[in-house]
Amino acid sequence: MSASNVVAPPTTPTRKRPVRAGIRKARRGQARWAIYLIVPSIVLLAVVIGYPVVSAIIMSFQKDAGLDPATGLFVQGGFAGFENYAHWLLQQCMNASGQTISCPPGNLGSQFWNAVSVTFFFTAVTVVVETALGMWFAFIMNRTFRGRALVRAAILVPWAIPTAVTAKLWFFIFSVAGVANAVLNTHILWVSDEWASRFAVIIADTWKTTPFMALLILAGLQVIPEEVYEAAKVDGATSWQRFWQVTLPLIRPALLVAVLFRVLDALRIYDLPAILTHGGGGTGNATTTLSILVVDQIRQGFNSASALSTITFIIIFIVAFIFVRILGTNVVRTQEAQQKGAK
Amino acid sequence: MTSVVTRATSVSKARAVGSVRRPRRTKRGALLGLVAWIFGLIFVTPVLWMILTSFHSETSAATNPPSLFAPLTLDGYANFFGANTGASPWPALINSAQASIISTLLVLALSIPAAYALSIRPVRKWSDVMFFFLTTKMLPMVAGLLPIYLIAKATGLLDSIILLVILYTSMNLPIAVWMMRSFLSEIPVEILEAASIDGANLLTIFRRIIIPISGPGIAATSLICFIFSWNELLFASVLTSTQAITAPVFLTSFVTSQGLFLAKVCAAAVAVSFPVLVAGFAAQDKLVQGLSLGAVK
Repeated sequence: MSASNVVAPPTTPTRKRPVRAGIRKARRGQARWAIYLIVPSIVLLAVVIGYPVVSAIIMSFQKDAGLDPATGLFVQGGFAGFENYAHWLLQQCMNASGQTISCPPGNLGSQFWNAVSVTFFFTAVTVVVETALGMWFAFIMNRTFRGRALVRAAILVPWAIPTAVTAKLWFFIFSVAGVANAVLNTHILWVSDEWASRFAVIIADTWKTTPFMALLILAGLQVIPEEVYEAAKVDGATSWQRFWQVTLPLIRPALLVAVLFRVLDALRIYDLPAILTHGGGGTGNATTTLSILVVDQIRQGFNSASALSTITFIIIFIVAFIFVRILGTNVVRTQEAQQKGAK
Repeated sequence: MTSVVTRATSVSKARAVGSVRRPRRTKRGALLGLVAWIFGLIFVTPVLWMILTSFHSETSAATNPPSLFAPLTLDGYANFFGANTGASPWPALINSAQASIISTLLVLALSIPAAYALSIRPVRKWSDVMFFFLTTKMLPMVAGLLPIYLIAKATGLLDSIILLVILYTSMNLPIAVWMMRSFLSEIPVEILEAASIDGANLLTIFRRIIIPISGPGIAATSLICFIFSWNELLFASVLTSTQAITAPVFLTSFVTSQGLFLAKVCAAAVAVSFPVLVAGFAAQDKLVQGLSLGAVK
């Protein structure tokens, strides 16, 4: 995905400059030093984010250090080719005599496809639910009512508090003798049953993120001029038609950017399932997402963990690419438009 | 200049539309207001329950369903901050404060000039640069975790606040550049041109024009960076242990060991969330604007 696919080159210069000879000359000098203002940030990101990512990719092609099956001596890994990737994607493990076998149950390698489906399941459900609920709430919030500012401030609370707190809070709510079971009058094993634990994670995530989605969509809604609706009303559009044919197309760019960022975030989900259910539930991996699997693998071998995190990165990248291609999200331009509208 | 003028008029038009929009205080409107209140209440209830429980004694906190009118006490907080539970939370809270505040200041120092160059002074291919900042948001944090761990181990930075400051600075920098750019482009170019014709140098422009005008934007950006740094758990839990342990990490281990004492745990959770909640309320309005403009976490 080259930048040009996502960012259409600006068709008009952001600001037309007055042509005044003296200033123009001065400005050419400024354009040069403007670069120096950006360089420190880019260098920092290249070093602190770029370098680790590149070296993770390099590490993913190395063997994990361990006991050599032939000699029984401790050896450094050496070049592994795609072995680490095969370990995850094809569930291939080494047996004691160095032969490639399919991983035994219980090995982290055999959990890969489970983690992929759990991650995608969480992403699909949470993003759909949060977007729908968030949009509904944004529509309500777009009306004037008493105490709107207070409600708006209040719903920021779930977003602002640390995920560690969120996860613990819901852990107590979902405990066997906790509030959830007391209110529902049930005895569901929220943190250990396979599906209940998944829904516990989904409910907690929805609670944490829906208000935030609502505020983002609200920001998009508030720039739609009232006249547009009045014109639609005059033309005899029903409220259903007004939603599908006026509101939705107008908030589409803002909505797509919000959803794209949510998807990227949901695919990387770590702390909520890690703390709420310890990635467990069911047979022990009902809520193990890709990120949790990476952290688990770190303790067993850096290089195969690197391969897994590279695979995770590629998966997220592909999803983002498809999203941008199919839905035509122009992230940078949308931000520009939104920014102009919001002023 | 023309585009500036057209934009200015479109802005005033948008404002006029906003003020003309009549508040609809109809019966249906009141009903929807009620729905919004209920919805809002549902979302705050768990937090309110947590706060209420933190002021209960352990025995009344353990009742099920939760009791609303149990006598209030500060025992939970006394137990959390007191020495009788083992480790004191103060070092963790101070570590978190240090890491969050220093990294936020660094982010501002780096992002304001970069955003200035990207918004006010022309940089060729500015949108490519903006996209570069955005791409870093696509990387899974865990991907960099291993190499960072190894580098930190090799350089002796493991379990140090400096490491957290560096990481949090780069983690928040892209968002901050995006947000600051949107706030800075609100400054009319004419003011800056007038200043530079009058012979103001870059530093004077920053000090006398940019910082005063975009003060609220800077405040919102720094609060968001502060919140994200304060809440960060993944890096902190892997890269710190005793010296640089942060508040969320402390909280998770505290809950593991003290999980049965609900009031104490709730007091701990409230204490850890407190700085973030204060920051969030302080910048509530600008926060929404800033988030919708550039920083979708």
